[in-house]
Amino acid sequence: MKLSIYCAALAAICSTLTATSSLGDPGDVVDKSFYPYRDSVPTAEGLSVGMVIDQTNIASVKDSVDPAFAEYISNGWTTIKVGETTSFELHPNYVKATRDHMNNVKLGEQVGEITGSVAGRPFPQEPDLDDPRAGEKLAWNYKFGYNWGDNAAIYPFYWTYRNLETAKAERQIKFNFHFLNYTHRVNQEPTPAITPNPSNLFRAIYVQVLEPFDVKNTQLLIHRAEDDLQRDNSYLYLGFQRRVRRLATGQVTDSFLGSDLMIEDFEGYNGRTSDMEWKYLGTRNVLLPFYNHNEMTLDQETHSDDDGYQVIAFGGKGGCFPDITWQLRKVYEVEAIPVDKNHPVGKRVFFMDAQTFTIPRTNIYDRAGKLWKSFLIGQAHPDHHLPINKGTGVSIDDSFMMLDVQAGHCTTGQFKGQVDPSLNPTSLFTVQNMRATGK
Amino acid sequence: MISNTRKRYSPSLGLMTMLLCTIGVNSAADDTEWSGFSEAVTHYRDGPGLSKARVGFQLEGLKFIGDAGIFSNFSINGTLRLSYDGVYDLNDDEFGDEAGGPIILEGGLVNTPHGQGFVNGPVVAGALGLVNNAFADPAVLAMTNPNQGLRVLGDHLHPQAGGVGFGVPVRPCDTDSRGCLRDYMDADKDELAAPEIFSDRLDFIRELYIDGTIPLKSGQQIDVRLGKQQVVWGRTDLFRVLDVINPVDFSRNNIYDELEDIRIPMWILHTEYRMGSNEVFDDINLSMVWNFDKFRPSNLGQCGTPNAILDAGCFFRGMKNLWENGGTVSNFAAVPDGAGGTLPGLQTTDFGPNQIGIRNVDLPDWSLSNTQLGFKLEGVIQDFTFSLNALMFRSHLPSLRGSDFESVNAFTGESAVFDHLIAFDVAFPRVKLLGGSLDYYAQSIDTVFRMEAAYTSGEEFANTIQPRLFSESDVVRYVIGADRNFFMRAINKNRAFLLSMQVFGQHLLDHETQSAAFGTIGMPDWEENWIATALLKGWWMNDRLSPQLILAHDFRGEATTVEASMDWLISDNWQFIVKANVKLGDKQFQFDDCRTCNPWGPFTATPAHADPFQSGSVGLQGFEPLGRFRSGPIGMAQEEDEIQITVRYRF
Repeated sequence: MKLSIYCAALAAICSTLTATSSLGDPGDVVDKSFYPYRDSVPTAEGLSVGMVIDQTNIASVKDSVDPAFAEYISNGWTTIKVGETTSFELHPNYVKATRDHMNNVKLGEQVGEITGSVAGRPFPQEPDLDDPRAGEKLAWNYKFGYNWGDNAAIYPFYWTYRNLETAKAERQIKFNFHFLNYTHRVNQEPTPAITPNPSNLFRAIYVQVLEPFDVKNTQLLIHRAEDDLQRDNSYLYLGFQRRVRRLATGQVTDSFLGSDLMIEDFEGYNGRTSDMEWKYLGTRNVLLPFYNHNEMTLDQETHSDDDGYQVIAFGGKGGCFPDITWQLRKVYEVEAIPVDKNHPVGKRVFFMDAQTFTIPRTNIYDRAGKLWKSFLIGQAHPDHHLPINKGTGVSIDDSFMMLDVQAGHCTTGQFKGQVDPSLNPTSLFTVQNMRATGK
Repeated sequence: MISNTRKRYSPSLGLMTMLLCTIGVNSAADDTEWSGFSEAVTHYRDGPGLSKARVGFQLEGLKFIGDAGIFSNFSINGTLRLSYDGVYDLNDDEFGDEAGGPIILEGGLVNTPHGQGFVNGPVVAGALGLVNNAFADPAVLAMTNPNQGLRVLGDHLHPQAGGVGFGVPVRPCDTDSRGCLRDYMDADKDELAAPEIFSDRLDFIRELYIDGTIPLKSGQQIDVRLGKQQVVWGRTDLFRVLDVINPVDFSRNNIYDELEDIRIPMWILHTEYRMGSNEVFDDINLSMVWNFDKFRPSNLGQCGTPNAILDAGCFFRGMKNLWENGGTVSNFAAVPDGAGGTLPGLQTTDFGPNQIGIRNVDLPDWSLSNTQLGFKLEGVIQDFTFSLNALMFRSHLPSLRGSDFESVNAFTGESAVFDHLIAFDVAFPRVKLLGGSLDYYAQSIDTVFRMEAAYTSGEEFANTIQPRLFSESDVVRYVIGADRNFFMRAINKNRAFLLSMQVFGQHLLDHETQSAAFGTIGMPDWEENWIATALLKGWWMNDRLSPQLILAHDFRGEATTVEASMDWLISDNWQFIVKANVKLGDKQFQFDDCRTCNPWGPFTATPAHADPFQSGSVGLQGFEPLGRFRSGPIGMAQEEDEIQITVRYRF
């Protein structure tokens, strides 16, 4: 109270003091960043838990739905079932790492340069529309997020290629996906980094195709350096050639195995921070696909195993839309424009979940500015999923839809996400493993 | 007729069974996966017509066991393959029991049917008074080597044109055993049509191996794979530089099938010490390959079958037939005219058995010293992946070693060892290989470069200078490849095209040629040559429709292959592939054919031989038999334009 009185007279000094106060109390900043629903959950006029948003009522709640999805609902392609907003609390070690290191984190002169980020969320502070680099900071929060924890596997992972108009499932590919952080580790030993790590890798993604026969044993390995200015090293093992091919990284903007996704789309955004010009557009309360997997309608046919686990069912037009519930959540809307003028994407508009810094919704526009693709990644609470995921503090990627609205085609994804270190040894993320695993 | 002894070669199979028992495999908690396909493959060749009508079935199984004794991730893997090619029945007058026919061979004065050479035993006895001569008697040849079921060597590529030519039997070896090379090129029709079922080497078991990892306390691993398998070294497509551990079956579709389908799996122990990362390398591994299987050469294709790479099978079969039965050779002997000169041209000549040709095939028996051992150090450092390779092996390709054995002098009938005589044994020399590979992604041009190089010693090449008509040469081979993905948004918005280019170089470091009176003599292989390949591939309909264009050009051979294909994945199960494989260029090469090698001086001496008793070539040239080494595999297949259709059902 006293501070605000003085501020009236000494506006400039006050501004500085307020900022300093914020920095000087990292606990508060961190709490706000990681526990936005501690005191209350967002509400919106006309929106209530349990309601179904469809063609008849979308107009009344349009501001709570991202524009692309609002259009799909208006078209009658799908509906949204509104669920209760729940807290997806990330692992306490990640929160602690944020507290420990946040004051040392600084952006470099150019996009893609950052120092002091050892682990945790680099920039837990609320973004500021007046900060020209706010979007970039949010991009770093995503990149160094606790997206799959220190490691995880989607084991297995079903991708189905579908025709939006005919609903024909043209092709289904069964994968295993594995993720491993070499640095920024907070939970599983060794922390904060795996050593030795001579190329200073930040992360690796390893993908193995299990079915169908023509692409069986195809494997993809992506090595991402800690230095964001360095390009990924990517390797592809083709089962029918039995050898590893180095990939030109330009191929990350290419359709991956004929799906509607490019490698750059993985997990929401899988490129370099420095590949984009980032712009923070604002903070909104928007419906995002967050849910408890065990309470959803499950697909009885695609997957079955001894765990009794089943994957999320899909429906709606073309069978492209996951049958899940959505939560009204605090969202940072961020625009990313590719630096490379030959990039096929004109811009991406991300709806980043403020609590988890996952990217459950992305709208992708072509270079003419027309909506091209729409990406949805359903986030499941780890405590209502497989027993092994309980208490991991990982927001589980659990279902996806990439809808190419121009082509009238979609690729859907059904996950069995497992935060299980035993599935992701470092030896899995090597070129040699691809040869050894292949025939 | 050659009798086919179908010895089942299975000690390795027994060894693997024993090992499975030893490590205590418990299959109770296993996962088993099955997949496979059946297919119908039809090739239609311009000229001969149907050249393949194969139906095939392949079943792949994986039994994952997990922990087993000292192993983790233990599994048993197998691939069974069966096929039947109906072309030997459906087009039997080209490739089956009715193939070939009577032939005419060219001579300076007169062309004569096979078996009725202008120069023959009675003629030589009469004209030269050499009553003990061993040239063939046409009456005998008519019985031992009749003029039926034959083609003239190379007749589909070039005329005899004053050069060497002779008849080559083209029917399966159960129909016509002439010229069949025991255990090498002696397939009967059943073996040609259903090679896996009637194989002597259990080829229906395409692969069968156990695979496991021994985890070490340090976190490092030892991977072990034991059994019948393919081991792939190298980074190249279409041609091989380092990828030489398994022999290759070129009889399936020349060089144009995926190596995955035409490598001949061998019984191999493959171990890999995976050291992981250290302060220098992101990943470093040392592997050992011990191919303990009985030696097996590459399958070059038997004469009379649709795919006989370099037409080597016909050359060999014709030569073997000449050795065993004698026969007629075109444009060979110079005949005195009785007035101190010679008749115009060189005349068809009937050689007797055991004079010229191929005597034996020396297929190495199994012994420890005949097994093959290789090491590879492979790793990742910064932006580079690399390997260093060393391999001691037997060449999978044959070498013709001139006679160090006795053969018959056609003029005198005496048996002796003759220098520069075109009488050979087929051998598979020991070769040492040192090599390496590297790939690098060049960010600035968004292109991946692949490099591979190998230095070999011990390889043998034809050489008409040398008394035994071959010599060793160290060889450097390399390939530089570049892969680039690029978009043409106007025709494909979402999917990049792949452009992959490669240049292969081969340098014979001990190459030898000389000028002689009638032309160049020495080694017919090019001292240095390059083959360039380019692949352009696109994908539409979510990768279900994929057109592809492949170009391969042999610079010194002046020959080009263009293969355009369309691969349509109708569904996850059904696949349809259509290809047009067209060869461009009609260049054929002549080289010293050793007609003027004077092995039986003074009778075979020419005016260019200063010493009529001294053997050695003076370089008379012809297309056959050595021009093939200059034409190369592309040039020698220039009459094999094909439309190829595959329908495959996968499960």
